[in-house]
Amino acid sequence: MIKFQNVLKKYDDVTALQGVNLQVRHGEFISLVGMSGAGKSTLLKLIIGEEHPDDGQVLIDDIDIATVSKTDLPYLRRKIGMVFQDIKLLPKRTAFENVAFAMEVCGHKKEKINGDVPKILDLVGLLHKRNHFPSQMSGGEKQRVAIARALAHRPVLLLADEPTGNLDEVNSDEVLELLLKINSLGTTVILATHASSLVNRIKRRVITIESGKIVREQAQGNYQL
Amino acid sequence: MESVSFLRVIKTGALNFWRNSWLSAAATMVMTITLVIFGLLFLLFGITNYSINTIKNTVDISVYFKVGLDEQQIFKIRDAVQADPRVKEVVYISQQQAFDEFKQRHQNDPLIVQSLNELTENPLSATLNVKTYHLEDYPAVAQSLQDPQYKDFISKVNFEDNRAVIDRLSRILKFIVTFGVGLIAVFCLIAALVVFNTIRLTIYNRKEEVEIMRLVGATNWYIRGPFLTESFLYALGATVLSALLFTPIFNQVLPKIAVYVNPQLTLFHQNLFNYWYLMGILLGLSLLLAAVSTLWAIRKYLKV
Ligand SMILES: Nc1ncnc2c1ncn2[C@@H]1O[C@H](COP(=O)(O)OP(=O)(O)OP(=O)(O)O)[C@@H](O)[C@H]1O
Ligand SMILES: [Mg+2]
Repeated sequence: MIKFQNVLKKYDDVTALQGVNLQVRHGEFISLVGMSGAGKSTLLKLIIGEEHPDDGQVLIDDIDIATVSKTDLPYLRRKIGMVFQDIKLLPKRTAFENVAFAMEVCGHKKEKINGDVPKILDLVGLLHKRNHFPSQMSGGEKQRVAIARALAHRPVLLLADEPTGNLDEVNSDEVLELLLKINSLGTTVILATHASSLVNRIKRRVITIESGKIVREQAQGNYQL
Repeated sequence: MESVSFLRVIKTGALNFWRNSWLSAAATMVMTITLVIFGLLFLLFGITNYSINTIKNTVDISVYFKVGLDEQQIFKIRDAVQADPRVKEVVYISQQQAFDEFKQRHQNDPLIVQSLNELTENPLSATLNVKTYHLEDYPAVAQSLQDPQYKDFISKVNFEDNRAVIDRLSRILKFIVTFGVGLIAVFCLIAALVVFNTIRLTIYNRKEEVEIMRLVGATNWYIRGPFLTESFLYALGATVLSALLFTPIFNQVLPKIAVYVNPQLTLFHQNLFNYWYLMGILLGLSLLLAAVSTLWAIRKYLKV
């Protein structure tokens, strides 16, 4: 489904990724681990076309993202859901409105939005907080709203960038359970994180990045930092 | 494009318009002032131009023939004048026609009617009314008719010279055009800058929203549409305000000016200055201004 071929990505003179080769199959749950600054977010940004490789190719279903036109890129993004590292919820909108926003953008009808959003909020266990603003929610709740928004347009691929970033163990576990549940419903998931304990527990494929290079691939992660 | 999205774009644009209502009002006002100035200059230009044409039409050479001439002789002279390449048209008014027209004109004046009835012979002379293509040819053509070869037939050549008035009006017209174009350019620039800055502020206020929209798969036009909608609302508002302002001008002022310029044509303004025609121009101008400055702001401040 996703293929990185010898990808190089630089920010001015900082090399964020180099020589990255990677293949992700449909239905997989992949953990992308590495220290801060290793290049995890950069890798995910290349998949949604927010950043472009300086060399090599990123292929989605055999289509090189670099060849996708500006007018088609939005439609590619609608197949992907992303939970951003900095969450990016709109402060002046409620949980419901934040999720609905993503569906509105994709051109869904109002009836569908009103029908789907409660279901998704229920899936992440936040239906009772539908009318709360981000400022009225805990970190874990906000993360879950972000996940709900990423799922709103029913993506085939979910990219979760540090969704357990500022959460304690209990909350982290809840988010992780949620991601596993989503994966079991058929969505491919890529989880970027530096939390080793988390990754070791789930026994799925783990890819380790260090200073922009993939240094290890394990079928059933036992990751050490 | 899906109609749901189209409606959402319009709705978001309208919402942005209301959210910074003060700035929206300012942008609309500046645009209105620009439109009103444009409209007034447009009318001024039209009136002056119309006056010139009206006066130009009054310029002609009247050739009075001696009484009792053979009509064949008159026709010969008429054909000679007609043959002159500078001459546009020659109208012959026979003695009888002149008499009838005179009677017609004075039919309400019993004294004249009575004295006319007492006449046994038609005292009016046959005339030729000569018009040339170019104003500057009148003196020469008039001169040529005073040639000695005609002196047995023509009693008088009358040439009313309005060229000085026309000259002055033409200069005024030129001034209106130069001055007007400059003035309009300045005001368009001001309006464009105000709209540009207002839209820039909206873009700034919605930075976060736009970024998220982009990342969750909003199309380009879905992101840009609301900003264009917002500025089009300024344009529509400005056009409506100008339309309200121009209504009394069209209903009260223009007819008076029309009668003043040309007493015979009281309703000329309805053809020359079509209200809806001018409003269409104003709408087009304001939409153009709004579109240009918004696209400029989008290009500069909205990374897509
Ligand atoms: N927009 C940018 N401009 C310049 N340098 C950048 C930019 N984004 C990331 N970098 C640099 O690229 C490298 C990789 O960054 P990236 O965000 O991918 O790391 P990460 O693995 O996600 O780290 P973290 O765990 O802290 O989120 C870092 O050295 C970072 O400083
Ligand atoms: Mg990161």
